[in-house]
Amino acid sequence: MPPQLRLNAVAFISPQSHPILIRAFSQSKDEQLKYHYLAHTSLDVFEERVNSGAKATESYLGLLFSMEGAAVYGYITPVKVKIVLALALSDAVVRDADITTIFRALHMAYYQSVANPFLKLHTALDTSGDHTSLMLAGSPKWKGFRRRVDEIGRAAGAPI
Amino acid sequence: MSSDSVLVTYAAPSTFLSSDHWKQFQSAFLAQLPLQNIHWKSSSRPSIRTIQQVNIKLVPIDSVRDEQTTQIPLTVIERPLLNLYIVVCEDNEAYKNVVRKQIKDWHSSVIQRKGQEWLILYMDRPDTKAAATSFFQVKASVLDKIKADFNVDKRDRCVQVAWSPNFDNPATWADVITKVKEGILSAFDASVTQREEEVKRSENQRQMPGWNFCTFFILKESLASSFEAVGLYEDAIVQYDELEASFYQVLREKNLSWFGTLISPGPNDDSIPLLSTTKKPYRDLILANTISVFDFRVYLVARQCTLLGKMGKVVDVGRKSSAFLSAFGKRLLEAKETVPLGFVESWIYSSALSVVEQCDEWALDLQLEESHVATFDATKGELLELARHQLDTLGVQLQYLPLKSPFSTSSFLSPEQLSRHADASDYVISRPDLVSSLKDKETFYDLYIKVTNRAIERYAKARRRKFALKLHGSLAALDVHRGRLPAALQTFTSLPAHYAPHEWTSLESLALSEAMATHARLEKAKDTEWIHILLAFLKTYVGSSEDELLIQTENNTSYMQTLIDALRHAAEGLDTDLLHADNDMLSVRIHCNDIENAETQDGSYLGIAVTNHLPCDIPADEVSVILTGPESEKLRYSTKIASLASGITTLKLFCPMPSNGTHALDSTEIRISRLLLQRQYRPNGGSTQKPRLLKYLPVLVHVPKDFRSLNVSARQPDSIELGKPPRLLISMSTGRNSLSNAKLRLSSSSGAHFDCKSAIPQGDVISTFELQEDSITLKDTEKDVVVSFLIPYTEAPAFQALTVVMDVEYVTASEPDLTRTLHTARLVPTSLPVAVNVQDFFRGPRLFSQFTVSTTSHQFVRIQSAQLSVVGDNPDDVAIEGCGGTRNIVTVTPVQPGNFLFRLISKHGLLQDPLRFTITYRMLRDEVELLVKHAIDDLARENQVNASDVPSLVDASLSVLQADSSWIEPYVVTRVLRIPDVDVPDELSGRLPMVLEEKSKEPLDEGWREICIPVDIPRMNIIAGARIRIPPDPFSKGGSQPTKPVPLYAGQPIPAELTISTSFHWGGGKESKDKAYRMRFDVEELIKEWLVSGRKRGDFAAKDGETYTVPITLIALHHGELALPKVSVTPLPLGGEFAMGSLALPSTETYQMHGAEKVLVLPRGGRSTFILDMGTDPAP
Repeated sequence: MPPQLRLNAVAFISPQSHPILIRAFSQSKDEQLKYHYLAHTSLDVFEERVNSGAKATESYLGLLFSMEGAAVYGYITPVKVKIVLALALSDAVVRDADITTIFRALHMAYYQSVANPFLKLHTALDTSGDHTSLMLAGSPKWKGFRRRVDEIGRAAGAPI
Repeated sequence: MSSDSVLVTYAAPSTFLSSDHWKQFQSAFLAQLPLQNIHWKSSSRPSIRTIQQVNIKLVPIDSVRDEQTTQIPLTVIERPLLNLYIVVCEDNEAYKNVVRKQIKDWHSSVIQRKGQEWLILYMDRPDTKAAATSFFQVKASVLDKIKADFNVDKRDRCVQVAWSPNFDNPATWADVITKVKEGILSAFDASVTQREEEVKRSENQRQMPGWNFCTFFILKESLASSFEAVGLYEDAIVQYDELEASFYQVLREKNLSWFGTLISPGPNDDSIPLLSTTKKPYRDLILANTISVFDFRVYLVARQCTLLGKMGKVVDVGRKSSAFLSAFGKRLLEAKETVPLGFVESWIYSSALSVVEQCDEWALDLQLEESHVATFDATKGELLELARHQLDTLGVQLQYLPLKSPFSTSSFLSPEQLSRHADASDYVISRPDLVSSLKDKETFYDLYIKVTNRAIERYAKARRRKFALKLHGSLAALDVHRGRLPAALQTFTSLPAHYAPHEWTSLESLALSEAMATHARLEKAKDTEWIHILLAFLKTYVGSSEDELLIQTENNTSYMQTLIDALRHAAEGLDTDLLHADNDMLSVRIHCNDIENAETQDGSYLGIAVTNHLPCDIPADEVSVILTGPESEKLRYSTKIASLASGITTLKLFCPMPSNGTHALDSTEIRISRLLLQRQYRPNGGSTQKPRLLKYLPVLVHVPKDFRSLNVSARQPDSIELGKPPRLLISMSTGRNSLSNAKLRLSSSSGAHFDCKSAIPQGDVISTFELQEDSITLKDTEKDVVVSFLIPYTEAPAFQALTVVMDVEYVTASEPDLTRTLHTARLVPTSLPVAVNVQDFFRGPRLFSQFTVSTTSHQFVRIQSAQLSVVGDNPDDVAIEGCGGTRNIVTVTPVQPGNFLFRLISKHGLLQDPLRFTITYRMLRDEVELLVKHAIDDLARENQVNASDVPSLVDASLSVLQADSSWIEPYVVTRVLRIPDVDVPDELSGRLPMVLEEKSKEPLDEGWREICIPVDIPRMNIIAGARIRIPPDPFSKGGSQPTKPVPLYAGQPIPAELTISTSFHWGGGKESKDKAYRMRFDVEELIKEWLVSGRKRGDFAAKDGETYTVPITLIALHHGELALPKVSVTPLPLGGEFAMGSLALPSTETYQMHGAEKVLVLPRGGRSTFILDMGTDPAP
């Protein structure tokens, strides 16, 4: 029985480093702010990892850093959408396989959401190829995506 | 604990050992060390491991005690791996008797040792060499014998070393070294394999009672130490990693009976360097099963990090230790009772700093790659930040720092725990700098800032900008707490710029709100800077959804309302208008279709929807929308408002300008006192902007035409006189406005200049006007009147059309404060619709002028009349008579020009006064327009339609007519206009065609236009009328006139008379009439019809009014109706008295008076007989 993971926050960040969705599973504003900062700072580490010439085929980047009571993991999709996970720090082995499973689920959630044809309603015609612009366009009102992410979060032990 | 060299024992006969040779041998052998590049191919490992170098420690065999003296597993290399026996025996006999036994004894002792190898070194002594040369075979056999005796298995464990003067030469030792390597490797392999098996066995027993993790740990660690000793660090780390994993398994099974307490903190435990493996007797503690989990974990990490450090993987050291510190620190805090207050924080703080130092130390010897340097810096930054976070926790507990973000969130402690106040004396902390800083607030802040800045510096080097930003933010928060507000304000105002580009609105808005709060606390005046901060904040507020916003306020709406009120207040205090572009908090949507004319006054209303994205009302003053039209005309729609409620507000904006046409949305403006929120819709830069990035599609608004508004039009005047400066007819219709003042300006983009000063008013002058150089000012003009002026202009290039830009500034009597501007541009065609060609025919004193009028466009032109008149003082000098009299209207079409013929009879010869040709015409199109207008006016009079609808109805009908041309031909022929069978607006469909038909039967006297064309004065010096006359009875001698013309026959010579009468009537002055001129006549040769005999050509002197006669004879060549030959008369270029005043040839026109006459020539009568010889039979 693997130790129960505790997912504290999830962040989706577009290839242009715009936040798509930052979901901190906490009611406290301070905590939410913390995860916003963590998501933002993790961009630096993403950049570092990607530039260091690590295997480009590998989506999962592993533990990015652990700070402020959170272990931050990174994942970058083939189209360079970055997914950040913040787990509560625990003094136990966290298996990469578990994290990868969560990331895969989040990635799928993202794709399912981006496949929504109605997202294109409010975007200019000539940006059809770039789906992240769709995400940004719809992000505040993005209930479906948020719901999917929340479901995954619940499964991964987030306190929702 | 273990020396880094491999033990090798030696044994030899004691005689040799005591000799100098031995010393020589030993030094030479040691000189070959250390062993390099040993390739270890292990059966349990997939790849060959290379041991870079191994030192050998040579010890006498008896110094090594037998193994198994202790239960503690030693590393595999703590026992000898190889045993050497050095044989010096030059003599076969000696070997057999003595040496062999010695070796045997040694051999039997060493082969018992497990995991050890042996090697017999045969010394080839140089001093025996000379003696042994003759017994070569014998000497060789000593080695062979040894080999035969001791090489029991396939491996050759005997090696020979030649004793030579250059004993140090590596070549001499190559064989030996290879054998030694082989031996060591084989022994190492055997030992490792054996130890691995032991470990595995032990691991498999873990579920059995009595199994001890600590024992297992020591056993496995011995393996790791062995690898470490020979430099196989990676294999060593693998051992530790496996140990760590099995520890976690133990942890998970919650079976920690092999350990002491979780932690039994020693006095300095919190401050001793983390990575030192010697700070405590860890192994002993482990063996004693009393090690605390804390110590154990620290030892494990320290060992791992040391190995990583040895491998030069300092980055991994940093990562590993920071992860460990965070994770284990958190765990320690969970067991809070056993840990003294502040211990964990102090431990993490000290450890993190010590790791940084240790790593730096290791890194000194390393040449790190560029990318690794950055990563290394980043790792150090993380460690320093970790240390800083401990200061956060301590500071909050000590209440040096407030219990709020960002100080409280970085702690492992829950907010409740943090809120428990602690005193500096409560802490059990041994680190000196911490202890001192905890006592004093300012020292604490200094330390805090110092550590933070160290971290920032590292991050900056590692190019981790975002980490550094976060720390800057925390420093600013500290500044706020310490009351250093200006510094904090500066940081907070600079931070948003870093978050904005990537649209991290949550963090941006936070920094902005902090900036505003700081600003408020500073009690600085709410100046422009503050407004900018606030507007940026509002933008982020609007841009993010409610729960994504991280600002902590109880009531967002009221908070916003206070902000907005403050904004309004600040805006009122501004000296000048403040323009703020592209604001998101208010968005304006144009309802393109919702635009209508004001009807009661000039101007139009535009419907828009303003969305206020804030949760509160915005006290805006004015909303404006600016549209641009062609010719850079701008329409500004605006309306005054009191405030904009949250959500969508629909507004009607008014623009008093009487413009129409298609306009594009240019910008929107919302005014809040002196603050102007502006948004541009026009793509600026045009091509520089990529179409991909085009955010807004252009918004087009079609402003409808208001037929009752003030309008100004320009066209060619009704009467055009060629040869005079061109003039333009400008008409201004006031529509519904009674104007108190109107100023009309004219300009042209094509370079024409209008001379307003010499404008001529047309029609009844119904208002007072002033003419200026470039404008016409009208005063007190009634409504529904048309004021027209003819304005001369100079046209620079002769274009087909003239662009006239007309600006009217006018003030109506009803709204004296409002100045409206009408800006219109018209393209006025300047070319004439008709072209006129003239052809003159002189007949003595008479002149026939034929004018051909053709249309220059595809349009039909209706010509009512064409007149030729004399302009001047003596109109009686000439009598002009047109032909046709009261002719109907002539229609000139592109394929059929109209001809007009005039006869002029001049009394005194050459005309003195100029002539002018005047056509009264109208375009068919204008005529039909008028017709339709009249028809609809009639309907209006009969109250069939509303008077106000007339213009639009006319427009609609005309567009129907425009769409179809089938009515044109019938109309031209029958003058009955039948409206084509297409959609006519409903209210017209019944009556209109009838009315039109009736109307078109009545004569329409309007809309005629005039073109006056000056005609060249016709002039001809000499008019010659030539005539060939055949008298009625050419053959009679007498003068009696026959009653019947005499028949003429072909071939018959006919006497005729050629007369040429010359007239100088059209030639000019009186004096020239008295002169004569020499001329030549020439009768045309018509060789098929006439033979001319007599004076066919001749010269004569021409005089005014005289006739020259010459007889000729004509012979008709065949019968028929024959025209007489023509006569040409040309002046001869002669000087003297015949020259008509000038040397130039006088102009001459010759006409044939007999041109229309024909002569009937009969066939010759009588009979002629011709006899032809048939030729075959000649007559005798």
